[in-house]
Amino acid sequence: MHLIPHSWSHLHILVSVFPSCGLMFVLGFYIAGFVTKNEGMKQTCLALFGVLGLLAIPTYFSGAGSMAALDGKPDVDQDMLNYHYYVGLFGLAALVIVGAAAWIALWRSLGAKQLSDQALKVVLGLAIVTLALMVVVDELGWEVHHFELHLPPKEGPYMAPGTTPETWSHVHMILNHFPTVGFTFALVFYLIALAMNNDVMKRSSLVVFVISAVLGVPTYVTGAASMWALTDPPIPQISKALINEHRDMALLTLFGLAFTGGAAWIELWRYRHLGRFSNRSLYVILAFAIITFAVMAETGHRGGQINHPEIRLATDALPTDPKAGWTPAIELLINNVIWFVPWQTVHFFGFSMIFGTVLVVVLRVLGFAKSIPFSAVHRILPLGLLGVLMNVFSGMLMLLADSFRYLNETTFAPKIAFIAIGVIAVLYFSLSERLWTVKAGEDAPASSKAVAVLVLLSWCGVIIGGRLLPYV
Amino acid sequence: MSNDNLMILLMVIAVVVCVLGLGAAGIYCLNKTVDQNGH
Repeated sequence: MHLIPHSWSHLHILVSVFPSCGLMFVLGFYIAGFVTKNEGMKQTCLALFGVLGLLAIPTYFSGAGSMAALDGKPDVDQDMLNYHYYVGLFGLAALVIVGAAAWIALWRSLGAKQLSDQALKVVLGLAIVTLALMVVVDELGWEVHHFELHLPPKEGPYMAPGTTPETWSHVHMILNHFPTVGFTFALVFYLIALAMNNDVMKRSSLVVFVISAVLGVPTYVTGAASMWALTDPPIPQISKALINEHRDMALLTLFGLAFTGGAAWIELWRYRHLGRFSNRSLYVILAFAIITFAVMAETGHRGGQINHPEIRLATDALPTDPKAGWTPAIELLINNVIWFVPWQTVHFFGFSMIFGTVLVVVLRVLGFAKSIPFSAVHRILPLGLLGVLMNVFSGMLMLLADSFRYLNETTFAPKIAFIAIGVIAVLYFSLSERLWTVKAGEDAPASSKAVAVLVLLSWCGVIIGGRLLPYV
Repeated sequence: MSNDNLMILLMVIAVVVCVLGLGAAGIYCLNKTVDQNGH
């Protein structure tokens, strides 16, 4: 049970991400509750704001305990620690106020039998201000203990060994909290939605499962880049064996996210056509989500161990062989042309399927072939999903074949960013109520056309970025 | 064609047929459920 915190520092690392990243996701659900005018969703969000407010207590005490433990340590920036502490006090005070306002709004609704619109908007405003404060607190917190963020910029010829910028460690540190915390809140929301039998909440949770899965891809990729930044040249405090142990679990998490996100998207798509959810499918998604959550928790713990010696226990059996694990074995295997070429071929098939599907849907939205109702075009979206799943799987295998080269190519990072934008924008086609009701001969709304252009440009960016990889 | 190239070609065909076959089966089943119950 090494996941259970045994020190103030460990508890602080674990609990402190919820008041910031968690708040962002609860805010997202809350705004969705406003848009859909769903009372159950608003009430659930108020209760979660209340819980986040209560989390200020363990966050404060674990932070104070961690400060005492880190006091005087040479590799800790004491000034940054003080900034983090004082801005953190403001952030936590704001969080307590949000929590109290949410509990009061809930309590008043019990007497009045309905939520007060004014109180709901007060909570919304306070939560947005708190989130802004928490972003600053988190950033200061990361700066405290992550000495690698303060290393001098690396110099040397382009793409030479030892030139992967440390910025990737910073990006990975920020990005990894979104799929993990987002997935956790989606799971909590999903369980409440199943218990309340609230279709809007079920749909919202499924959407966040899909978004978490999409964000898993840039998280994995920036993680691989961080590995090169931290191990080439080697940094004495960083163990490659520990990183490999983290990567093994991260690969499993990525596939768990793909299964959960893919299954969630399929159910969202089916809901559109059937007008109801299949309970069996919902419980299959729940099973995927619980397994993925468990794997992700272990991944996060192993990731934390890489640069947080204070959370390691004397009883932890840490790996020492940098060549052990599945990921190095897969790297060796996929480097063989007999494995690389088939997966590259699958990758090109995947691209064709995604771009073909996107092109048909985008052209209809932009006004071509108006005789086709949007609901008919919606039927071909699963082909695009299959393409995305094929490419996540094949793309990550190809990345493992030569990750240093890929990650340091100029067009790789834009390509991955365009994938995330493209997939999230395609999600709009699956969900939009206005588009769904566009009948044969009707024009799509202007906002949908703007999204269609964004989708088309994103996927063009992905293809161009990918094709330029070996050359630019 | 050398034996190595033949092996690569066979692997490409095997992997592509398996992946696309599984995908086609999944999409066929998905469409069937909508055709039978959709509106």
